[in-house]
Amino acid sequence: MKVSDLLESRKENWRELDRLCTVLEGGSRRAAPATAVSRFAALYRAVCADLALADAYQLPPGTIHFLHQLVGRAHNQLYRTRTFHVRDWMRQLFVVVPQRLFADRYLRLAFTIFWGVFLAAYFLALTQPGIAEQILGKEMIARLEDSFSEPVARQGGAAGNLGGAMMGFYVFNNPGIGLRCFAFGLLFGIGGLYATVANAAIIGASFGFMSRTSGAASENFFHFVTAHAPFELTAVVLCAAAGMRLGFSIVGTHGLTRGASLRRAGEQSLPIVLTAVILFVLAALIEAFLSPSAAPYEVKAAVALLSGVLLMFYFVFLGYPREGMTNDEIRMTKECRSPNDE
Amino acid sequence: MPSNGDQIDTRIEIVTPENIAFEYRVAGPFRRLPAYLIDLGLRVVLFWLGLMVFMLITGLLGVPGVGLGAGLVWAFLLLWFYGGLFETFWNGQTPGKRMMQIRVVTVDGRPINGLQAILRNILRTVDAIGFYQVGFVSALLTERFQRLGDLACGTMVVIEEPQWLREVLRLGDPEVTDLAARLPYRFQPSLSLGRALAAYVDRRATFAWGRRLEIARYLGEPLREKLNLTAETNLDLLLCALYQRTFVAEREGETPGQSPFAAQGLEK
Repeated sequence: MKVSDLLESRKENWRELDRLCTVLEGGSRRAAPATAVSRFAALYRAVCADLALADAYQLPPGTIHFLHQLVGRAHNQLYRTRTFHVRDWMRQLFVVVPQRLFADRYLRLAFTIFWGVFLAAYFLALTQPGIAEQILGKEMIARLEDSFSEPVARQGGAAGNLGGAMMGFYVFNNPGIGLRCFAFGLLFGIGGLYATVANAAIIGASFGFMSRTSGAASENFFHFVTAHAPFELTAVVLCAAAGMRLGFSIVGTHGLTRGASLRRAGEQSLPIVLTAVILFVLAALIEAFLSPSAAPYEVKAAVALLSGVLLMFYFVFLGYPREGMTNDEIRMTKECRSPNDE
Repeated sequence: MPSNGDQIDTRIEIVTPENIAFEYRVAGPFRRLPAYLIDLGLRVVLFWLGLMVFMLITGLLGVPGVGLGAGLVWAFLLLWFYGGLFETFWNGQTPGKRMMQIRVVTVDGRPINGLQAILRNILRTVDAIGFYQVGFVSALLTERFQRLGDLACGTMVVIEEPQWLREVLRLGDPEVTDLAARLPYRFQPSLSLGRALAAYVDRRATFAWGRRLEIARYLGEPLREKLNLTAETNLDLLLCALYQRTFVAEREGETPGQSPFAAQGLEK
């Protein structure tokens, strides 16, 4: 058998597969007829066999090169990306993630750091005059007092209109901060730690400062922040925790290679971050429509209370370890708690 | 895969479920940068188009603020999830990657899943520090040109270029056919010699006459001695004749017509 004859006999099949690949790569997967799709698989297997035997057939290098790229292209069309299923999402969001969060050591760490620094800054700013100015800076204090000097409730019927614009701004801005906080955690966790401490100190000092001073600005401030605070602050903590998990996984690998440890942490932390994005969006809704409205303070406080209860329900009730998880999910949850015992 | 010192180019070997190994070329920073710039431009265009449409609709309804808000939500989605969603639903490609003919796959050559697609694009923030200096350095330090986001997801970007099938060259030169007939009948070039011959003959058309002789000398001189040919034998022609013997001429000991593919049931 001559190599040239052999190529001659196979050429048509290869070209056909090449054409099919081009059609499928064009995104018109549904446009390809069923017979073509089933033929694609047969052709792919044949080309695989050709490539496997290329040395035995003594094919020239140029041809082998062609076969490598043809198999590669066909491989990528045959094995396609697994997309999301909405049902899986619901399960992730309401079953898997809360249980993982309940067991998450980094969440406890981030929670402790955030609220510890927050409370410290709050009490310092409340009791020691001048501390708030040191933490926040004169400019920021002035800005705070300035922006809350007017009552938050807006006049006239433009609330829906302006609310829409503000909602867009909050959705654009706030989850972005959270996601950035998460991503910077990759730099050995320092980014996440820094962001957590800085956020907590600034927010805590603002609260303390506003509690210390009395008057219109203080009243307006609490009128504005109360309703959306629980969702937003929780989301910040979640992002920071996920970022720390990412960063610390490079340092403490628990017997894995650094790369494998990082990949595992990435897989574990992404659902948590996406949950935080959802919380950010919920907070943005409240922040845009309820917080600046003329509703009495009691209503806003009630919303804050309700969201607090919802969060408790999510973290504690849904999060409490229970039956019905797949082995894989149980393993992941366990790893979140203590990566050592496997 | 640990660095084993064998790698001298950007090829990565993948073993498929069909149990055969094939090679990918990994895409380097200078192929990914144009893809990124294309995507960036497309995102800007999409953002303005979206904003205009939203503003137009809501402006007509008398609530332009809502349109602005929708535009900002749109900007958020484009900024953080454009790459992730495209790579999920376009099988590891964004429009820019498709134009540059590159694709994201996992390091073991399988398709990426939605989680990996989204995570590697969120972590882009870190790689983008200092106009992608972090990602660039990370890509240069890793064997597969992975930026930090790729490392965290176990993904890499490969080149997926269609190529033309090169035919076996038919050297119609009568001198070559003549020389091929004079070669010892039992001489069959080995596998590696066959490769070297093919590499030479594929390229010789682009060489000048003197250059051909110069290159052919390294392989031709020992072969001329081994095959007991006269010193006048043209070495370029000798390599062509051997090429013909290897790839075009009938081989000894094989029955003609016995196709190794007959069993596969694919001949139409």
